[in-house]
Amino acid sequence: MKKIYLHPLPVRIWHWINALSFLLLIVTGLQIRYRDVFKLTSFKTAVDIHNILGFVLLFNFFIWLIYYLVSGKFNIYIPEFSLRSLIEGSIRQARYYGYGIFVGEENPHHSTPDNKFNPMQQMAYLNIMALFIPMQIATGLLMWDVKGFSQWIGLAGGIKIVDSVHVLLFLFFTSFLFVHIYLATLGHSTFAHIKAMFVGYEEEPEHGHSH
Amino acid sequence: MFRFYGGQVVKKGTYWNLSSGESIELEHEKILPGSRQVRYLKVPATGIFILGPISGLLFICLLPLMSLLIVITLLSRIAVASDALKSDEAAMCMGCHSAQGVVKTFKNKEKVSVYIEESHFKNTVHGFLTCTSCHSTVSMDNHPSAQYASKKEFAIQISKACKTCHSDEQVLAKPIHKQAITRANAPPCSDCHGSHSISKVSGGKATASNSQYCLTCHKKDLNLSMKGETLSLTIDETILRKSVHGNHNCSDCHTQFSKKEHPVKTFGSKRELSISVAGVCKGCHPEKYKQYQGSIHSNMLTQGNLKAPVCTDCHGAHSVGHKALVETISGVPCKKCHEATFEAYKSSVHGQAKTNGKGNAPICSSCHSAHEMRPALASRSPRATCMGCHKNAAALHKEWLPNSDIHLEAVACTACHVPDAERRVYLRVTDSASGENISKARVKQFLGANYESLTLAKANGIEDQQLWDMYQKLGDSGTKMNLTGTLGLNDCNQSHSLAPKGKALKQCDRCHDADSKSFKAVSMAIITPDGHEERYNVNPAVLGSMFTILPLNQFYALGGTRIKILDIIGILMVVGGMSVPIVHITLRILTSPIREARRLNKLRKEGRR
Repeated sequence: MKKIYLHPLPVRIWHWINALSFLLLIVTGLQIRYRDVFKLTSFKTAVDIHNILGFVLLFNFFIWLIYYLVSGKFNIYIPEFSLRSLIEGSIRQARYYGYGIFVGEENPHHSTPDNKFNPMQQMAYLNIMALFIPMQIATGLLMWDVKGFSQWIGLAGGIKIVDSVHVLLFLFFTSFLFVHIYLATLGHSTFAHIKAMFVGYEEEPEHGHSH
Repeated sequence: MFRFYGGQVVKKGTYWNLSSGESIELEHEKILPGSRQVRYLKVPATGIFILGPISGLLFICLLPLMSLLIVITLLSRIAVASDALKSDEAAMCMGCHSAQGVVKTFKNKEKVSVYIEESHFKNTVHGFLTCTSCHSTVSMDNHPSAQYASKKEFAIQISKACKTCHSDEQVLAKPIHKQAITRANAPPCSDCHGSHSISKVSGGKATASNSQYCLTCHKKDLNLSMKGETLSLTIDETILRKSVHGNHNCSDCHTQFSKKEHPVKTFGSKRELSISVAGVCKGCHPEKYKQYQGSIHSNMLTQGNLKAPVCTDCHGAHSVGHKALVETISGVPCKKCHEATFEAYKSSVHGQAKTNGKGNAPICSSCHSAHEMRPALASRSPRATCMGCHKNAAALHKEWLPNSDIHLEAVACTACHVPDAERRVYLRVTDSASGENISKARVKQFLGANYESLTLAKANGIEDQQLWDMYQKLGDSGTKMNLTGTLGLNDCNQSHSLAPKGKALKQCDRCHDADSKSFKAVSMAIITPDGHEERYNVNPAVLGSMFTILPLNQFYALGGTRIKILDIIGILMVVGGMSVPIVHITLRILTSPIREARRLNKLRKEGRR
């Protein structure tokens, strides 16, 4: 077994704050939108918690952004510029998840601190971190003070559009969460990736590893 | 000396019996015959011959004097006889008519007292006349029992006697008479002038105030008939004097009438008359009149609704009172037409405070304003109105209510402060810059045929597709018009039943829940020219429709009016996300023999090596 220091402390802190916030935001979000189905707290409590966690997520996003900008490791999120190798890499990765994994092939991607994500992960996380989360934070902020941001809401096309975007992203994050957690269990052992996210070190067998 | 009586003992001489004129010649002292009543005069027979010529001479000399005396005496006798005749007639009439309690019953069972207060009559302008001067059918010999249909009929018949002395020319010279007498159902003279207490109406004309002059007739029981309606022209002077206009002259308001002028006016109805007379108020109260002109009441009137109130409907006509009078629970005039609303107000926190004597508690005009009178505040947010008094309301809401500003904009105060009322969403076409409502005429102008299709009655009301069409049409017109939604109350009367602050709705769930009752009724409200709102039913489903994501982009309640299609997308996405691990795990379990076989194969190869 070799140990690779894959997740530096700031990334781990950011990740787990994010994880908790997401879970609670999803639960309170459900409380706000689907009271007729789930009724754990009062609407007011749900809104208050949701607002606080929204700001937690906002500040957390900046922890992530500043860390990656300062450390210069942002390029782990950037897919290869060559479209051909990007497509080839993606197909290779998809083939692994869709076929190779079932027949016992090795994961074609080997995570290192400088090349943490496979091409599919890169595309997914770049979208999530650079687009979806900022949009979720922005639409959330607009709805936090509808009157104060009325100009911006007007530009966006009205409160219904802002909320629809927020809801669609919320639905995406919720469904992504299932995939994310599942993929996290596909390390060399079920809890290898998850343990790594706590301690920072990913343990890998000497001759190979998987995601 | 010369006078004697029967039974007396007299001396000799010639005695004349004064009763019979016989003479008795007595030769000696003797008793005169007859009783003591029989008078005798002793005149000597020779004396007759001397006295005769002297008396004849005196008679001739005194004859002119006697004639004069006779004439004078006879004249006085004639005068006395006439006087006697008159007083005899009055005495005869008054013999019965001075008795109180005697009544005459007419055919219609009306009763009139026949009692006459003689002294009153004596002091009238007719005091020199006798009873029969007017009651010509009655005389000392004849008192027919005339049968009149009614008191009025009797008065009309008796009043005909007036014409005996007062010619038509004399009567019609007065303008008021032209008005009063020429009509078919003209009142009898006695209606204005009285009967036995008859007075000269114009008696004080020169000196009496205008009002006093008018009241001479108008304090009496006067009526004016117009097309089946009867208008009382009787003015209660005490009420008039108590009013704020108590010192005014009648002609200050009734400008076309004066001591000299009394034009004949015709009105279609009592209401038309009231409306016409109320127009004069603006002469002294131009500001109030100007405010009134923009009001819904004035607009209703302009639109031909005669029921719309004018000045006098609220302030009274002759009883016009001080402002403070119409601002009390008992005196507020609005309740005459808005009874249900008033009852709702009366039991509200505002009405209770007013009843309990809280001076600054609002009454109708405090919110609606007295003369400007703006309608339909209930269904839109009456922020400005409520916050005119509740100045710290915005700050207080901010303390606990997320997005309080937007709540106060899109939710009428009443929607929460009348906790038990039914709510309704109102959609209005508004100017996107000012937020003001767009009038029906303008909406019609921009929507064209779409407007007609909007207002046609449909089973479910206006549908989302129509709102989308409307939105596009308004967008095409180039004007900045929006559809603005507001949560208000279903029944405008209920918006007056404001509850004490502590009872106001504070549970967000009452609206922010798809099951909320607040969004089960939706109306399109369009302002009509008179300021009312026409409401057209809208299918409540439009609130959660994709089609209204732009048309209704301002009205949205989290959870309450969520867009339904996102729910379906959401289920698909979440089920999709969950199915990835489930399917993948299943496939991994199913394919585990392959991997096991491969692993063993690999081990075997390595073992062989």
